[in-house]
Amino acid sequence: MSALQQPPIEPPGPWSFPTAQRSQLSNGVEVITYALPGQHVIAAHLIMDLPLSAEDREREGVATICARALDEGTRSHPGETFAEHLETEGAGLGVEVSLAGLQTILDVPASHLAPALELFAEAVIEPELTEADVRRHVQLRLAEIEQARANSSQTANLEFRAAIFDPSSRASRMNGGEPETLTGLTPDAVRAFHAAGFGPRDATLVLAGDFAEDPVAIAETALGRWQNPEQSHPAQPRIGPGDQKSILVHRPGAVQADVRLGGFGIDRLDPRWAGISVASYAVGGAFLSRLNAVLREERGYTYGVRMQFSPLRTGGSYAVQGSFRTDVAVDALVEARRLMDLGGAPITADEVDDAVAYFTGVTPLRYATADGIADQVATQVLAGLGEDYVDRNLAALRATTPESATDAYESLVDIDRLTLVVVGDADQLADPLRAAGYPDLAVT
Amino acid sequence: MTFAPAAPAPLRYPIKQHRLDNGLRVIASPDHVAPSVAVNLWYGVGSRHEEPGRTGFAHLFEHVMFQGSANVPSGQHIALMQAAGASVNATTWFDRTNYFETLPTGGLDLALWLEADRLSSLLDALTQDNLDNQREVVKEEKRQRYDNVPYGDVLERLITLTFPPDHPYGHTTIGSMADLDAATLADVGAFFRRYYLPNNAVLTIAGDIEPEDGFGRAETYFGSLPAGPLPPSPQEDSMPPLGPADDLPREETSGPVPAEAVYVSWRLPARDVPEFDALDLLFGILGHGQTSRLHKKLVREAELAESASATCMGLIGGNSYGFAYARARDGVEVEELEAALLAEVDALLQDGPTEVELRRGKAQYERHWLHELARIDSRADALGEYATLLGDPHLINTRLSEVNTVELDAIAAAAAAWFGRDRRGTLIYRKDQP
Repeated sequence: MSALQQPPIEPPGPWSFPTAQRSQLSNGVEVITYALPGQHVIAAHLIMDLPLSAEDREREGVATICARALDEGTRSHPGETFAEHLETEGAGLGVEVSLAGLQTILDVPASHLAPALELFAEAVIEPELTEADVRRHVQLRLAEIEQARANSSQTANLEFRAAIFDPSSRASRMNGGEPETLTGLTPDAVRAFHAAGFGPRDATLVLAGDFAEDPVAIAETALGRWQNPEQSHPAQPRIGPGDQKSILVHRPGAVQADVRLGGFGIDRLDPRWAGISVASYAVGGAFLSRLNAVLREERGYTYGVRMQFSPLRTGGSYAVQGSFRTDVAVDALVEARRLMDLGGAPITADEVDDAVAYFTGVTPLRYATADGIADQVATQVLAGLGEDYVDRNLAALRATTPESATDAYESLVDIDRLTLVVVGDADQLADPLRAAGYPDLAVT
Repeated sequence: MTFAPAAPAPLRYPIKQHRLDNGLRVIASPDHVAPSVAVNLWYGVGSRHEEPGRTGFAHLFEHVMFQGSANVPSGQHIALMQAAGASVNATTWFDRTNYFETLPTGGLDLALWLEADRLSSLLDALTQDNLDNQREVVKEEKRQRYDNVPYGDVLERLITLTFPPDHPYGHTTIGSMADLDAATLADVGAFFRRYYLPNNAVLTIAGDIEPEDGFGRAETYFGSLPAGPLPPSPQEDSMPPLGPADDLPREETSGPVPAEAVYVSWRLPARDVPEFDALDLLFGILGHGQTSRLHKKLVREAELAESASATCMGLIGGNSYGFAYARARDGVEVEELEAALLAEVDALLQDGPTEVELRRGKAQYERHWLHELARIDSRADALGEYATLLGDPHLINTRLSEVNTVELDAIAAAAAAWFGRDRRGTLIYRKDQP
């Protein structure tokens, strides 16, 4: 046995989010640059203010197909010669399609930035988007949906988003489109989407890493020629909640039930964001959160259960989520509901201290790398948060009190109006769920 | 078009080593960019050290390590660390178990104290209740990650095809439900005493701390722990490739999966020989990335597969392991897909990669490796890995130049010795018939 006493923690020193250099390319693209010594892999994110609500309702998925086909060939480097050149530079190109906008992302060793960014720009400005590539990506996307539907956890996520958002909103449906809108998607529609949506206006380029040369000059060479006088300017939508529901998706013979219990939430601009971050960490974010301490560490019902608020640009969602073996799933759900109720058990001062220490402690490391910073700045651009968001949010977290955390939680989490999605064996789960307080359970 | 490939610049991450009197190896790698430190402990024990009838035990034990020790109540290791602003976790794999926390520098002493307390006194706090609770948690993990997931049993089936059942790599880390049920308190005690020794561990401290300071703190918290007899190594003789050609393992299975699939596996040499690096590049050229042979031919050109890739799993105990797979597009017969996949294997074996493919493979390796070392937590893990399994943490700085020396003739020789359709195991995954 160790004779040493538990050592105290020295409080962390001051830290703030790194400072950016801002500039603009000749065509108006905003450039935000972070010079980070020792970060040998450069991260470049090109962010387009192109919300998915800009897709035609009957062509949803067009943004995803367009984004995925960008690196299948360009006019300057047709077909697979494009990817061959890019990969030979040691670069990786990715796309991220979110409700608020599109990102194309480049990772490349610093010494190869100039040629790789040139190729990256080609993919954005002059992709081929051939007939064959579009048709193949539609088929691959349909196969991807089949895989998601065969996966219990992904099915639960899809059913949950369909339930909690206003069914007329784009947010209620998959970012990548649903089978009925994908099936009829033509190469012309994808090219038209690119022609109307992609352009330098309202585009932002974030560059982070240990640059060997002036990154803005490289960016000007690569992207300064980008023009699109026809570029459309779709507005960011407001997203509202759906009606409360209880859904059981039948998965015959499943050994576990995937549970989602939650509802419509808030975005980061809501004054309650810091308070709800602290409260949800205490209820279901920490390892010994109220939920995990009981359902995992005391009962052994699950590998892990968590509560998370997921912000969108406007509004958001929250859920308690976990996977429980079938014979204890209903008990786990009842217990989770009890633990989610702060009535008589408000957030404590210790819980606030622990949450604030955790968030402030993990932050510097999260933003110590090129991709960590670029990813965060892209999120900020897409959510309209401003460059000093991380520092402001840390200050707001430090100012959180047990009362403000509890108030935020109680104003958002109405225990009697939670939407429930369970994916599991309905033969074993349906009756016990109805008896446990879900008489309106819909089994699909 | 040819041009001289740019050799990667040598890396210069600072690395200092120190060994405590009890045999604990301590590695320090200072980096003051962020006010954070990464603490990372590699123990030289993984699923390959498990005994028959006790599969899954090393991983179950990893869970027990969070159930408290003499001065730390159950669950408090993570709770105290999170309240110090730490990211905390542990993982178990074939060759090792690692425990790690990354946190603001002011919590370094607490992290070391917590790690030392459980290494010195885990069994003082162990109870039947704790063991039973974590057994249930691990069974839930197995259900969530393997049993309730399409194709979730593939790795287990491939491992079983590729290695004999009594081989150290003949079973997966998660183990079987029956063996998890059979684990007793006595097993936990014996396992702890046998493997959890300072002289069977590597402690890495990377980040905002100077090496001498780190070594001093390691001495403070770990210095009084006694060494023990090093456990015997499991079988480490290298097995030959699968074969002969008329006796290749083949299995068919089915499940509730949306697409049929073919998997092909190979026994490979251990990761500590240059042949492995050559094969690692070969597998990348076969199946990693958009320009890989499998993606180009099966997904892009022939449109037979919805996805296709290949990968190597580097292991230290005599052999490694590699596999390739393809999932069939709607309406494609899995036999046709298998034939197309094997045609790519044949072509790569017969003609080898092109110069450009090799250069591309090295360039991609470079980016992944630099990315791996970009954060102090994954850098600490890499240092622990190379110290534990290959005996030298400095290899993280020379890794790129080593890989860069692999030329086409070395790949051809390694492929001739280990690769090809005559040395494979095959798993066909079909859809359940309604």
